Amino acid sequence: MGRRPVRGSTSPRQRRSCIKGTNYPDPRRRIGNANRYDRGVGLDDDTVISVRGLTKSYGSFQALRGVDFELRRGHVLALLGPNGAGKTTTVEILEGFRRRDGGEVSVLGADPSHRDRALRAKVGIVLQECAVDPYLTVTEAITQRSVLYPHPRPAGEVIDLVGLDAKRDARVKTLSGGQQRRLDLGLALIGDPELIFLDEPTTGFDPTARRESWDLVKGLCAEGRTVVLTTHYMDEAQALADQVAVIAAGKVVATGTPDTIGGRDRGKTTVRFVIPPGVSLGDLPLPSGICPTVRCGAVEFSLPDATALLHDLTGWSVVSGKPLAGLTVTRPSLEDVYLSLTGAEVDHP
Amino acid sequence: MNDLLVARHQVNYEQKTYWRNPMAAVFTFMFPVVFLLVVGTSAGSSAIPDSTLRYDQYLVVAMLVFGLVAACYTNLGITLSIRRDSGVLKRMRGTPISAGSYVGGIIGSVLINVMLLTIMVVAIGMVGYHLHFPYHPLAVVVTLLVGVLTFSALGLAVTVIVPNAEAAPAVINGIYFPIVFISGVFYPIANTSVLARIATFFPVRHMVNALVGAFEGGPQSGLKGWDILVMLAWAAAALTFALTRFRWEPRHR
Repeated sequence: MGRRPVRGSTSPRQRRSCIKGTNYPDPRRRIGNANRYDRGVGLDDDTVISVRGLTKSYGSFQALRGVDFELRRGHVLALLGPNGAGKTTTVEILEGFRRRDGGEVSVLGADPSHRDRALRAKVGIVLQECAVDPYLTVTEAITQRSVLYPHPRPAGEVIDLVGLDAKRDARVKTLSGGQQRRLDLGLALIGDPELIFLDEPTTGFDPTARRESWDLVKGLCAEGRTVVLTTHYMDEAQALADQVAVIAAGKVVATGTPDTIGGRDRGKTTVRFVIPPGVSLGDLPLPSGICPTVRCGAVEFSLPDATALLHDLTGWSVVSGKPLAGLTVTRPSLEDVYLSLTGAEVDHP
Repeated sequence: MNDLLVARHQVNYEQKTYWRNPMAAVFTFMFPVVFLLVVGTSAGSSAIPDSTLRYDQYLVVAMLVFGLVAACYTNLGITLSIRRDSGVLKRMRGTPISAGSYVGGIIGSVLINVMLLTIMVVAIGMVGYHLHFPYHPLAVVVTLLVGVLTFSALGLAVTVIVPNAEAAPAVINGIYFPIVFISGVFYPIANTSVLARIATFFPVRHMVNALVGAFEGGPQSGLKGWDILVMLAWAAAALTFALTRFRWEPRHR
């Protein structure tokens, strides 16, 4: 683990001090490090989103066929799935833009289809498309939005947070695509939301901007906010999510942490290296019962636990003075698991 | 959070976006002024049917109607269609703002524009065409307010039938211009003519009648109750249509 440095020595309470007027419960204190999602979920008041048996049809097309999941306060949920699988429909029902046909949905204890203003004041939304009036400046766009909320964050603070301080007085239409996207995020944060929906928030970002956005999202959940993220980037889900739900053809086909989803933690380890010159496969200290595949001079094994094998192999290599060129040890990536879950052909090297 | 306060803030932002995108101001401000300066001077001061105003003075009042309809109906229809397609409306829908505050803010901004337009056009009329200061100022105010209400409601209603932002100018002006022509905005049309009879069904003709009645002196002048009533009926129908059918999201899926 250790991909969320926040969890370690720094207390979330200290990090939260920059947020005025919020009093969130401290999720990270009580929730352990590993497999938080696997411990009985939804059994206490910390459930922010609860979805059961959600269905929705557009004409004869069944977009959602019984979606179930729960999300706890302070967690990031990544909704993964192919285009048309039902991610956006699910999110838009949670946001209150669409009405469901059936099932139970609770967002912060309320039914989003009622479109209560109190609920909308606690939720921040970033839609897929950038939607800001092009003729306002960054500051104006932010302050225009801030008057709509009962307890807004200071406009300057939000502008700094999304890294637009240099563009404060620039008209929205002069901003680059990435900057507009960050302004969009700022608009979602101005109301000091407890729950934030991010629909493909980093599509089109350069790698640096994506890392910055990730840090921002990590900071948000360190403050006790809950985030629902849809994305097509597996590295994004890996970096940010506490929970992953994979939606395919209108159903949740798997849930779990990024490291355990789809039995990823139980998947086989693959060891691969180039056979040293003048060495045959039989000379290598391989245990019996595994079937190596040899391709272009490289040998590959998959096995549940590669520790002993690696010990033997590297020991042999050092003693015999024959280096194992191109040695790699890999586990199934989130993308491998995703592809197998969504029915796509896994094309392993 | 106070709805009125939010609407007041919204007026402020609407004004900013309006004046920073001068394209929107062309039909509302430039067209009536240029038309008055170019056509008004050549129109002559002949008498016209059903009114004590001269032709050129009539044109001043008629151009005020033209500008008002552009400021309300055309502007709202095009602006809201663009905002709907770009997702701005959907985005607003996700905030705690009430639809009333949002639309109220837009109409408040329109009211400011109509006030400016009125001052401009009436000043040109009084200076250039010896137009008398309105004989019934209160009737002018009432007529303008009813006009703003009616044509703003029609702007909301036409947004419902506009499929997308690209089609907005064609749909909106395609409805507007024929009606403006037969309603006697560019030249007076006698009440007894066939065109006038057709135009009587639509609100623009009534707006022209009511505003001319409020500007002119004479026995038939004053607040034109029937015209106001017809406009209010259009406003009610348009609002009902808009309230039941308005889409906040672009039409694609």
